[in-house]
Amino acid sequence: MTGKEAFCIFTPKGAKWVEWVRPVPFLFSQGEEKRYQSQNLPVPLGYYIEKEMEHTATIVDLPGVESVREGMALAHKGLRPIPIYNGTNGQTGSRTTVDNQCIGNALCTCAEELKTLEISRDALPVFLLDSNRLHRYKMDVTLFDNSWDVYAQDLPIAECFLKQGIQTILVVGKFPAKDLKKILYEYQKKGLLIFYTDRYEKPKKIKIRKPFLKEKNG
Amino acid sequence: MKLVPIPKEKYDEYRNTLMFDCYKWDPQFLDNNTIAEYVLVLTEKEHRQLSDLTEKLDRETQEAEVFLNQNLKLAKPLALPKKVKKEIRKMRDYDSSLHIRLTRYDFHPLSAGYWAISEVNSDVPGGFAEASLMPNEAKKLLESDKMDFINFGNVLVDAIAKKVVPGGRIMLVHCTSYSDDRQVMQFLGDRLEERGYRVLYGAADHLRFCQKKAYSVLDGNEGQVDGIFRFTPLEWLTDIKPKKWQGYFDTITPSCNHPIAMYAQTKRFPFVFDALKEHGVEMSTWRSLLPDTLEVAKAKGKEGYIYKAACGRVGENISIKEACKEGEYEKIIKDVKKHPKKYLAQKRFDNQYLDGENGEKFHVCVGSYAVDGNHAGYYARISKRMRIDSNAADIPVLIEKEGSLS
Repeated sequence: MTGKEAFCIFTPKGAKWVEWVRPVPFLFSQGEEKRYQSQNLPVPLGYYIEKEMEHTATIVDLPGVESVREGMALAHKGLRPIPIYNGTNGQTGSRTTVDNQCIGNALCTCAEELKTLEISRDALPVFLLDSNRLHRYKMDVTLFDNSWDVYAQDLPIAECFLKQGIQTILVVGKFPAKDLKKILYEYQKKGLLIFYTDRYEKPKKIKIRKPFLKEKNG
Repeated sequence: MKLVPIPKEKYDEYRNTLMFDCYKWDPQFLDNNTIAEYVLVLTEKEHRQLSDLTEKLDRETQEAEVFLNQNLKLAKPLALPKKVKKEIRKMRDYDSSLHIRLTRYDFHPLSAGYWAISEVNSDVPGGFAEASLMPNEAKKLLESDKMDFINFGNVLVDAIAKKVVPGGRIMLVHCTSYSDDRQVMQFLGDRLEERGYRVLYGAADHLRFCQKKAYSVLDGNEGQVDGIFRFTPLEWLTDIKPKKWQGYFDTITPSCNHPIAMYAQTKRFPFVFDALKEHGVEMSTWRSLLPDTLEVAKAKGKEGYIYKAACGRVGENISIKEACKEGEYEKIIKDVKKHPKKYLAQKRFDNQYLDGENGEKFHVCVGSYAVDGNHAGYYARISKRMRIDSNAADIPVLIEKEGSLS
């Protein structure tokens, strides 16, 4: 399956939220010699999704292919996976700080499975992020730094969520990193509730402190 | 000039094609679709006008920057960043024949007819694929042989090929963490590879300089490079530690753009026009197209002026109140008061709206490129808001051949 074909499966016409799907990982899903085994990873259960969280948009922030599989788990529960990965591949022959290509490959593999699922056009969104995106420590300056950040412009604005009846944002996986915190803080200011789960515990409400103040205070 | 709607039934496929075949990797910004549902069609006359004005502006810009470079005292009103100022003496031996000079002038149609320019993107103008492949797709959609376009990418690559040895290695220097930068570089890189060049995608600190020549230290791709295409803005480059970037200022490796571009990049550029005139460098085209531009202090109490950041990009930090998001206007005004030299005041101009379908009205900004002094094509954006910024939509530009029916 080509990246474009997979992208089309992730963005069915008329479905809500699909305009936020980023084409970047789909573009970088081919043309490299690496081999990936993402198709054999077990699909997790996503049992933290509860009935009372029906007014919730989810953000999955897990490392690499795990986040794609988690997105698929939630797709099995009727949610709409919205990949917003935005990392590129490195220069041929150079070592990189992040393996972004594994994401594209996993998305293409999962697209076959996604095609078979019946997801409502109004389904709640699950935005997918790779928590490895922030690996920007370079053991050597010569490495190609393809780490990346998620920015406010990569997600809907708070008013858009509220207008669609969404009152809660659930972050799944890594406790919100610096870049995501900035976005969540703005959501919180506009009245959205922020919940967090590490995938094993029941989601609990968290309060996001003003990100730069927290950094300043150590 | 007019907006022609893209047939609705063809729009989704058009959008996907732009993403997957035309390097448009950022089709959404917040809640805004950044791919216009229209095509901007210029008349042949408007095209000739813009092309002529662009070349005149570019001649003046290049004459001014070369003159300023030899007369640094005159550059003081530009209030260039300290780190940049420290290095500019290294550019004394700048030889324009070695390098490729790329600029993009932002034109706005006025209600009263004719044009205004708001700025020149002198240092690292973008929008390459939008100015090359997007119009080609639009032309196919409109199925009209009466429309044409300028393929900016071809003009740029031709200019590079005149200065960089055939088959040479060219590093495309950009912020490697940003896919938005990579999409511009990938478009150019693929075109250069088609011409037989070896392309390296790298960051600003992947180049080192020895005897004024550039060398790659990029992992697994070390060695001399024969050309530099820089997409990292100069003021970001000079923030990089450790300080290994001085070589960009005096390199003899063909560069696009060479840091000479910084004189015109600051929006305070018009503040040196009077001094230039005293030395015989006329900026008459610039003066005729640029709205009244003043130091912040001189605009105090004057009606109808907006503030712009001297180093602002993509419409950021421009105090058009009705186009600012919540709290943004107040934030800009506070910063203007704190750092007046980092801003300028500019008279607001009365933009000509373009009509869309169903009563929609759009503001338009037509970016017109020059490469080594020659007009090289268009990159345009439209917005329902007064300010053309990251929320605006990219729109392909076609030129209606003379004699064809509207």
